[in-house]
Amino acid sequence: MTAPVATSVAARATELVKVYGHGETAVQALDRVSVAFPHGQFSAIMGPSGSGKSTLMHCLAGLDSVTSGQVFIGDTDITKLHDNDLTLLRRDKVGFIFQAYNLVPTLNAIENITLPMAIAGRDPDQQWLDQIIDTMGLRDRLKHRPAELSGGQQQRVAAARALASRPDIIYADEPTGNLDSRSSAEILGFLHRSVRDLGQTIVMVTHDAVAAGYANRVIFLQDGRIVDELADPTAESVLDRMKAMGA
Amino acid sequence: MWKATIRSLMAHKLRLILTGIAIVLGVGFVTGTLVLSDTLSATFNNLFRGITAGIDVQVRSPKTFSEQGNQGGGGTQHLPVPETVLSDVERIPGVAAATGEAVGSAILIDSKGKAIQPTGPPTLGFSFPDDPRLTSLRVKDGRRPRGPTEVAIDVYTANKYGFHVGDQVKVVANGPVQTYTLVATMRIGTADSLLGATVTAFDLPTAQKAFDLVGKYSDINVKSAGGVAATQLRDRINRALKPRYEAVTGSELAKENANDIQKGIGFITTFLLVFAGVALLVGTFLIVNTFNIIVAQRTRELALLRALGAQRRQVMASVVGEAMITGAFCSVVGVGFGVLTAIGLQGLFSAIGFKLPASGLVVQPNSIIVGLVVGFVVTLLSSLLPARRATRVAPIEALRDVAAPPATSARSRIIAGATTGVIGGVALAAGLLGSGISLVGTGALLIFLAVAFLAPLIAKPVAGLIGTPIARIYKLPGKLARENATRNPRRTAATAAALMIGLALVTLVSILAASAQVSTNRAIDRAFTADYIITTKQFGNFPATLADDLRKLPQLSAVTPFAFGQFKLDGSTKQLSSVDPREFAKLGNLKVVEGQLPADTDPAALLVDASEAKAKHWHAGTVVAAEFAKTGKVQLPVKAVYAKNQLIGKYLVTDATFRANFTQQFANIVLAKKAPGVSAQVARAAVDRVAANYPSVDVKDQTQLKADQRKQINQLLSVIFALLLFSIGIALIGVVNTLVLSIFERTRELGLLRAVGMTRRQIRKMIRWESVIIAVFGTLLGMAVGIGFGISLVSALHSQGITDLVIPFSYLLGYLVVAVLAGIVAAIWPARRAARLDILQAISTE
Repeated sequence: MTAPVATSVAARATELVKVYGHGETAVQALDRVSVAFPHGQFSAIMGPSGSGKSTLMHCLAGLDSVTSGQVFIGDTDITKLHDNDLTLLRRDKVGFIFQAYNLVPTLNAIENITLPMAIAGRDPDQQWLDQIIDTMGLRDRLKHRPAELSGGQQQRVAAARALASRPDIIYADEPTGNLDSRSSAEILGFLHRSVRDLGQTIVMVTHDAVAAGYANRVIFLQDGRIVDELADPTAESVLDRMKAMGA
Repeated sequence: MWKATIRSLMAHKLRLILTGIAIVLGVGFVTGTLVLSDTLSATFNNLFRGITAGIDVQVRSPKTFSEQGNQGGGGTQHLPVPETVLSDVERIPGVAAATGEAVGSAILIDSKGKAIQPTGPPTLGFSFPDDPRLTSLRVKDGRRPRGPTEVAIDVYTANKYGFHVGDQVKVVANGPVQTYTLVATMRIGTADSLLGATVTAFDLPTAQKAFDLVGKYSDINVKSAGGVAATQLRDRINRALKPRYEAVTGSELAKENANDIQKGIGFITTFLLVFAGVALLVGTFLIVNTFNIIVAQRTRELALLRALGAQRRQVMASVVGEAMITGAFCSVVGVGFGVLTAIGLQGLFSAIGFKLPASGLVVQPNSIIVGLVVGFVVTLLSSLLPARRATRVAPIEALRDVAAPPATSARSRIIAGATTGVIGGVALAAGLLGSGISLVGTGALLIFLAVAFLAPLIAKPVAGLIGTPIARIYKLPGKLARENATRNPRRTAATAAALMIGLALVTLVSILAASAQVSTNRAIDRAFTADYIITTKQFGNFPATLADDLRKLPQLSAVTPFAFGQFKLDGSTKQLSSVDPREFAKLGNLKVVEGQLPADTDPAALLVDASEAKAKHWHAGTVVAAEFAKTGKVQLPVKAVYAKNQLIGKYLVTDATFRANFTQQFANIVLAKKAPGVSAQVARAAVDRVAANYPSVDVKDQTQLKADQRKQINQLLSVIFALLLFSIGIALIGVVNTLVLSIFERTRELGLLRAVGMTRRQIRKMIRWESVIIAVFGTLLGMAVGIGFGISLVSALHSQGITDLVIPFSYLLGYLVVAVLAGIVAAIWPARRAARLDILQAISTE
């Protein structure tokens, strides 16, 4: 591990259980999952469809409630928070990159990037913002609305938004799921650099071994349980491990 | 395909409900009005059948033109019958019994000394015949009144005002107050009340005296002998007495009376139907808009159907089918709602003092059928345009991410809007200049449509402008509200256009009212230099001796009775005033151009307006052949020609001339002027002292007169507003509808906003201000159109006495504030829905 400040934990879950429905139709999506994400690390969560990887991310991000167990972001147990506090916590401490529909169509690129700050009524850190915009190569696209941007550009705006407010942790849910391989590589490379150079913490859900190869660590999930973990993965080692799991 | 249609309906119950509310309200208003109208006719029919139940045949003078008449002329009346006719009638074979009847107006005075004058129902006075076969009056408690000091009143009035048999009761008929002993409470047929009217009955001679009918009867009621049919008897009497007198059967009379009253209140139905039509028009806008949004949202689904091989025709059928099912269902609910509306309308009218008889609602099959057909057809027609749009959805749309139905080009919009607008403007102008009220309506409708066509073109900049201060104040939620309001200009415009209609009418009515008020005040200032005007609430029985009493007051320098009536010149009906000309000249700004003012006692004196005299080539001294209802053709010399006077109009006679030629022997109002050197308080106190003897009169000075006018105008205004509220309510439902459907469309976006940290409060704020922007846009559109209508209507009414155009900006500002509040209210529910969205579901929604 080469992360420079990987001393504390950005987010963690202990004994996390998530059950959908109840009675006979109950489905256990997460089965006593305990996991921690140290600061300054790029983690990938992998697993086959229905393994619970998206559910895990949603619970970790405070988007979904948990059946039992605890989820911490920093030192805050978010399972104890009500909607309003949870919303404020997401706004101030968490960044998101979704697979699609990441942007508000009525706002232009720069407005979308600064959206969380605008919601909070805060001014963005201009120097930081400039750095992100330039890294993302979005300088000449700032006044464009999402409809005028390509899919790759849209995801770059989404990534810039996630970084702009300097959140404690960024959750990325299949961020390259809708992109061609070139755009994917751009986004993933950027995420990787933001962890390496800027000390950002990122948790990414993906089913793509190539994407997972950009991470520092890969967690394998199956049937709602963590079944394996791989440090400093490459696309090949991830693929091998997946084959070994019989997925 | 039918299966898909029904599935689609059931899958979106919400939008079914939202579309449905508009149909239900519109249909409800129409049905309610019809039910109310039927109920009224049934009530009056029953009532008059009850009143005339005892009468087989009535004998009366033939119809003449009405000497009183309402504004605008027309109307008929029957003059009294001399007492001697009774014996002629009694001699006719088949007459079992006959009696003269004296009918007039009699006002009761309550225990506090105030006149009992309900607004709406009349104050009726009858003679109570000896023979119970000849009347529908029935004593409940006590006995029939006999002699000059006894009176009976109806049970309802007695109970309501606490009169008991044995009480002393004060009554004003055509003279000063008289005190009678109450000897009976009575029913009319089997009813305790006659539509809330006060009914007073005396014996015949007392009634004749009270109603200025000494030696005369209003009419003669006849009971036929057994075996003689009423129609048979009628024909016999007619053969004997025509053409001097005529006979009608009791049932003919009942029908006649009911028809007269219905003609009198027919305007209520028309009036209400106009508002129902407006509500329906607004509802149509709403339905079209809703179907348009639905088609837009179903684009992918429709495209998929097309891709799977559905024909255009089938897609069209799918949308129209949904409309048909919705229309049929909601029309049924609407008809039910209409019955409730009828009850509500009854309440509204009684709330402003126009008491309609309370009785069971009469729901005719016709009202139901009209309601159902209107609802169904309107919904069906509303769906045609969106359905056509749906057929233009290409199969490829199924594969696209963002649904975008083909938009109408700006150019064709401008052409359609401008054409409609110009035709509408021409129709409106033609209607206003001619007198085609329906043309005015058509013109207004076309202009509304034109604005609705054009509104999408300005929706973006205008809504953006409205939203700018909001974005500044409310930061991001405000900015998003503005962006959302402008992102689909057609939708925003259509929603606002529905609101525009109600607001345009409110603005128009406000301008008319304000203009009428200022014009009236100015007319009062200009034409009216009297200090006091004495009136009764109901024209008809002004105490004849009041003017004489006032003349005796040294505190007054001039007093004149003022009466108005109708007469005929060369066969056409003209309005006429009667005053004491010399007294009037001292207080009423009467300028003699030619001739001299005659004395009040001159029994044959006509005075003519200068322009009228010029047109007819009349001069002082010309003898004119006038025709009166009572006296027929009379030669009247023109004694003077006067300069234009708004108060008295074109023809004036002396008080003596009026009394000689009119049945009405009293003034309608009395005008008085304070003597110089007497303080206003002293003069007023003296007038009030005299008036205290006449409880049915009101004394007003100029300020009070103006206030009175204002009150009347405001009362009418409040009714119109209450009725327009219906349409505005429907338009607001339209706002709710648009918001809810838009929120549905933006589920993912809302989910994203929530995920990245927008609080529920902020979401609600965003929706709320979007709603306000739409509401304000609609209000501004409405005001612009309303001001246009107002200016054209006021200028068209210039000759009718509305001389000043007043645009009440303070009111308009008030409406704008109300619009903001209404926008906030409309957003409550959609905003709550948006805020409650489950984030996870929202971001994973397909």
